Amino acid sequence: MDTTTVSAKSLITLDIGNTITRALFFDVVSGRYRFLASASAPTTAAAPLFDVTEGAWRAIEELQNITSRTFFSEKEGMIIPSTQDNQGVDVMVATMSAGNPISVVTVGLLDNVSLLNARHLAQTTYADVIAKISLNDQLTSTERINLLTEKRPDLIIIAGGTDKGASKALLSIIESIGLSSFLLDDGLRPHILYTGNEELQEEMKKGLAKISKLHIAPNILPVLGKENIYPAQNELNEIYKDVRKRQTGGIREVLSWTEGNFTSTASALGRVIRFLSEKYEPEKGVMGVDIGSYATVLAAASSGEETLRVFPNLGVGAGSTGVLENSSLEEITRWLPFHIPEQDVRDYINNKSAYPSSLPTESDQLEIEIALAKQALRIAVEKTIPSLHKRPSAFRSLMPPIEPFIGSGRILTNAPTRAQSLSILLDGLQPTGVTTLALDQNGILPGLGAASEINPLLTVQVIESNTFLNLGTIIAPIGYARPGTPILRIRVNREDGRTFTREIKSGSLTILPIELGEKVSLHLRPLHRFDVGMGGPGKSGKVNAVGGSLGIIIDTRGRPLPFSLDPEKNWKRNDTWIKTLLKYE
Amino acid sequence: MPIEGHVIVRRMQKVTPTDVIVVAPLNPKYILLEIAHGLNVTSARADELLQRRAGDELAKGDIIAGPVGLFQRVIRAPHSGLVRIVGEGKVLFEISSPLFELQAGMEGTITNIIPERGAIIETRGALIQGVWGNGNITYGVMQPVSNNLNQELLAEQINIGFRGAILAAGYCSNPNVLEIAATIPIKGLVLGSISSDVLPTAKSMNYPILVIDGFGTKPMNTAAEEILVANKDRNVALNAQVYDPFSGKYPEIIISQPNQPEPNLPIESEPLTSGKRVIIVNGSQSPQIGTIDLIHSRKKILSSGIKARAAEVTYGNEKRATIPLSNVEILKE
Repeated sequence: MDTTTVSAKSLITLDIGNTITRALFFDVVSGRYRFLASASAPTTAAAPLFDVTEGAWRAIEELQNITSRTFFSEKEGMIIPSTQDNQGVDVMVATMSAGNPISVVTVGLLDNVSLLNARHLAQTTYADVIAKISLNDQLTSTERINLLTEKRPDLIIIAGGTDKGASKALLSIIESIGLSSFLLDDGLRPHILYTGNEELQEEMKKGLAKISKLHIAPNILPVLGKENIYPAQNELNEIYKDVRKRQTGGIREVLSWTEGNFTSTASALGRVIRFLSEKYEPEKGVMGVDIGSYATVLAAASSGEETLRVFPNLGVGAGSTGVLENSSLEEITRWLPFHIPEQDVRDYINNKSAYPSSLPTESDQLEIEIALAKQALRIAVEKTIPSLHKRPSAFRSLMPPIEPFIGSGRILTNAPTRAQSLSILLDGLQPTGVTTLALDQNGILPGLGAASEINPLLTVQVIESNTFLNLGTIIAPIGYARPGTPILRIRVNREDGRTFTREIKSGSLTILPIELGEKVSLHLRPLHRFDVGMGGPGKSGKVNAVGGSLGIIIDTRGRPLPFSLDPEKNWKRNDTWIKTLLKYE
Repeated sequence: MPIEGHVIVRRMQKVTPTDVIVVAPLNPKYILLEIAHGLNVTSARADELLQRRAGDELAKGDIIAGPVGLFQRVIRAPHSGLVRIVGEGKVLFEISSPLFELQAGMEGTITNIIPERGAIIETRGALIQGVWGNGNITYGVMQPVSNNLNQELLAEQINIGFRGAILAAGYCSNPNVLEIAATIPIKGLVLGSISSDVLPTAKSMNYPILVIDGFGTKPMNTAAEEILVANKDRNVALNAQVYDPFSGKYPEIIISQPNQPEPNLPIESEPLTSGKRVIIVNGSQSPQIGTIDLIHSRKKILSSGIKARAAEVTYGNEKRATIPLSNVEILKE
């Protein structure tokens, strides 16, 4: 659809991250929405300013300088909507990930059913589950009351009971929640999100509405074995907004600029990935990953189903010590291409956590950050994979076939070479079959997600304008063979009729030098019953592919990527792999 | 205070570090008494048998409900405390606990009262903020181990003369040193940096440990060193709280100097410009203090290969380096 047929509206998206606040400007050019400019400034949510608007102003001021368009005046503040002389902007939307995670207590009947569902719901936002209460915990009412008054969570998520299922047991826990809320001051009372047995909703209102901030969402487990988190996610996002409004200075002003179009960055990422999955092949699915300073976010969508997971304290800045807490130092250093003393690695990680916006000035520091990013992504992926397999599979511990993967985050976009960006995504995600790795080089994914609610045409047209950088098509067969064994024959047919073939051996990383944007047809013939995503082990097939900035990459290193017990061998191998990628850069 | 308490200071009152500002039951404990179950009656009957209302203060053994039945069964208060909620056959009872006393922690003047929560204390002096604290707080006499805080704190430097003092030293890379300091015992420790391997021991020490610049084996930055050496033998408030920038919690040292003239308030937000005195954070030049000679108008390529806005900074003995702007902080003097 041509945008001249609809009322065109310019848009600024503001993404308030833990270290950087980014402002992006979109407008109509030649009848279509385009991404036009990006600017950033340090986030000012923390000390000494405690007010996100200062960082936002600075980012918007830089956007003014870049675009030579006035967006705000000293007298009037933000100029919304735009004026006839092209000043200001018509619409603003904002996303946010800055701030400490909201503290959550999950409540359910059984640990491995309703509590798991409640945890999955909590993981769709920047939340830290600080305690859980269930029938399995053997706590008395008195102990539950003391636990809740001591922990003082921002939010209690209550799940449990299929519709028309158990209710009495849940009500006894609810009594403890009500009493503990009553004991707290008004300002300290938690939000309560009830997502359990729908027959108990009235009881909840009767018992909790007057003494807490009660929210009711549809049951996240309406029938056993069928988790349905999405409707409750919207309610959770409203709670996130309210908690941020209370805890972070300047949010009220941002809400007034955006007329309430404010959401968590993770939620916006989930929304745009869902949007993209409908545009691409809905069956195959799309995944977006955001490796942030404090958190890593994975959002996947296929056939209309969304999986969103936020991993707070797992990042490459403020959350870098979280990577150290979630893995051994060896699991981080195994990604390095050369030896760096363990003490230096540990000290650098702690310093990076203390100064999250600082940049690596030397190459060994950069390599530590890249290793951190790979390990953070690996942890997040391994925890998310079980939720991604919708059907039984022989490779349940591996990444299912998904295309494309889109990566965002400063560690990816700031990396000096595209080979480094690609290696972070390739090693962290370890995709299987034939797929594409793309880079959200301007950090526009969350903004597009937030904009899709109010202007879906903008989201569609900006995505269609090749806004993501294709890093490369990946072919990753899975199976078992000794390193050096031929496992795949590839015939590449170019559009001009030229062809060439390659035999690929197990344990290697090979690049087919296909130019960025060049379309080719590939005939893949796996050997030794390797599965290359053509319908099963040993099956051959044709697939169309497009060259990325690093061509087409054939990754036969194995899934999961094997490591040697000898660290020297790992460093040497990593060095060889990155040099292979750099050769084509 | 995170909960309601009783503020016992008044506006414009001068306070010393040990003066109590507010008292409150910081972590009250509760008991849910099942009256109906205990008396073996219905909930409605139990409510009729209640002798207490919400708000009643009870001593241990006081009757809450009853008597009922042949044996005149009663429910008594298991501890001294306060009845918080009654009804539906139950009583929620708050157990009396010793009140937490929040001390001023510094010399100063109360400039504002926060009703039922605390007060704002204003003081003149020096403030040094760090990046890591082990969660403990103290107040005492500060003694640098030497006039030169660029060296490692060694076991042989810690002697009985430091008993009860807050020590200041360059860096620590040996956990045994912290344990020896605990046996003296010292009252607190301020370090320029700390080796990451020593953190588990530092966390377990019951005296406050504050790290100013970061992690590794680097000397203390010279600006902090100058202040600490110049204030040798003075009382300092050492709050080694855990670093949380979003709630404004920095581990910090306050050295009150009430007789000094009132200084100008620092500017909250100022841009980096040529001539500004800065501290280099993170990276091989940290924690050097230098001056910005020039801010490049275009992004520079760093040795790491990253392109970033950067400045030329002169530090130390006329050394010069290109430092990304994100790696410098303006030094407030």
